Amino acid sequence: MRVLKPFEYFEPGTVAQAVRLLLSYGDKAKVLAGGVDLIPRMRQRKVTPEYVVNIQRIAGLDYIRGNGSKGLRFGALTTLHSLELSPRIQKDYTVLYEAVHHIASVQVKTMGTAVGNLCVATPASDVATALIALGAEVKIVSVTGERTIPIENFFVGVGQTILEPGQIVTEVLLPDLPARTGGAFLKLVRTAADIAKVNVAVNLRVTSNKCEDVKIVLGSVAPTVFRAIKAEKVLGGQKPDPEVIKAAAEAAATQAKPITDLRSTAEYRRETTEVLVRRALERALEGAKA
Amino acid sequence: MRKEIAKFIINSRPYELLVEPNITLVELLREQLDLTGTKCACGVGECGSCTILVDGKPTLSCSTLALAIRGKDILTIEGLAQGTTLHPIQQAFIDCGAIQCGFCTPGMILMAKALLDENPNPTREEVKEGLGGNLCRCTGYVKIIDAVLAAAETMRKGAS
Repeated sequence: MRVLKPFEYFEPGTVAQAVRLLLSYGDKAKVLAGGVDLIPRMRQRKVTPEYVVNIQRIAGLDYIRGNGSKGLRFGALTTLHSLELSPRIQKDYTVLYEAVHHIASVQVKTMGTAVGNLCVATPASDVATALIALGAEVKIVSVTGERTIPIENFFVGVGQTILEPGQIVTEVLLPDLPARTGGAFLKLVRTAADIAKVNVAVNLRVTSNKCEDVKIVLGSVAPTVFRAIKAEKVLGGQKPDPEVIKAAAEAAATQAKPITDLRSTAEYRRETTEVLVRRALERALEGAKA
Repeated sequence: MRKEIAKFIINSRPYELLVEPNITLVELLREQLDLTGTKCACGVGECGSCTILVDGKPTLSCSTLALAIRGKDILTIEGLAQGTTLHPIQQAFIDCGAIQCGFCTPGMILMAKALLDENPNPTREEVKEGLGGNLCRCTGYVKIIDAVLAAAETMRKGAS
């Protein structure tokens, strides 16, 4: 087993100190939160930061709390396991619960943070697909201030986010979901601990037997997780009958731009995207009726 | 890269050590402290054999910087038995034949402890999910799951 390459190590006590360090060291620095992504990649020499900024000691970043009538918020250090155990997430945010529940192992969920997972920007992120389907936002803090953006605008490419040196994500904001909302998360994997071949998150609302606020989000079939807008439009405002659902699933598959790699061929991924979207929509509709 | 003095509590014993930032917890345990019960196989957080408990939480010691857990309470397999009396999970692993080569055993047992501390009466399915991040290449898992369920029963009786 290879030892990590030497680096200079910091444990800032506040977000302000962390962003100052990250600004001064730029691309040579990496943020350490849960460590389940960063440390293995450092061991494999996929990344070799000269500076590691560990944010674990910053107080007040590990929480899940109600946001009044605006939904729910959680912090940069909130672990996947905490989200999984949250009664509010189990009850109100089905799609996020299902996504987190099936991630890797208990150890990874106990150490790993949801925000860390977002910042890694893997196109296979279960967390990102679920959060985009929920219309969640991230709060980004820098030395000059803070701003909040929808997570669907957060990713730029494989492993790339809009974050610039000196910026970190401190919080995720989940909107309050209206009544008769349903969601579902589905994925195909080789083994339980592996990353997905295809992952799909949907969230929608049914009013007067019509689908509203339809979000269909695809992972692992493009350089970033993305919303299949065409497919959403096929279903939006329509009665949720099997033909419309099928048409929406077909539209989603045409928007997938998968690659062939050791996990699957592009053709298989496109084909199964359609199947997973159809099944996820069926389950979300059941949830919306319940 | 400068070494830092760091305090740890490992198996209820305080330590004060000079640690380099790039040393992970498994390296600290095995190489600096000779606590070789903790195993390291994949080194990248996939096999679970390096699992230890940090403040009671199951933690992959290969993916944890030693300096990052300064001041925290670390439990390794060496700290589980009380003198010569084995912990009920250790005893159950022996009684059920859940050990073959033994390499995955320390990680399995500590993960099982974390699971049973959180859920003293798990179903077979919950044990499978709880141990899903620990690979065993010998046993086929059946006896390991049997052992965890047997230990759960012993521990519930002991607690009542």
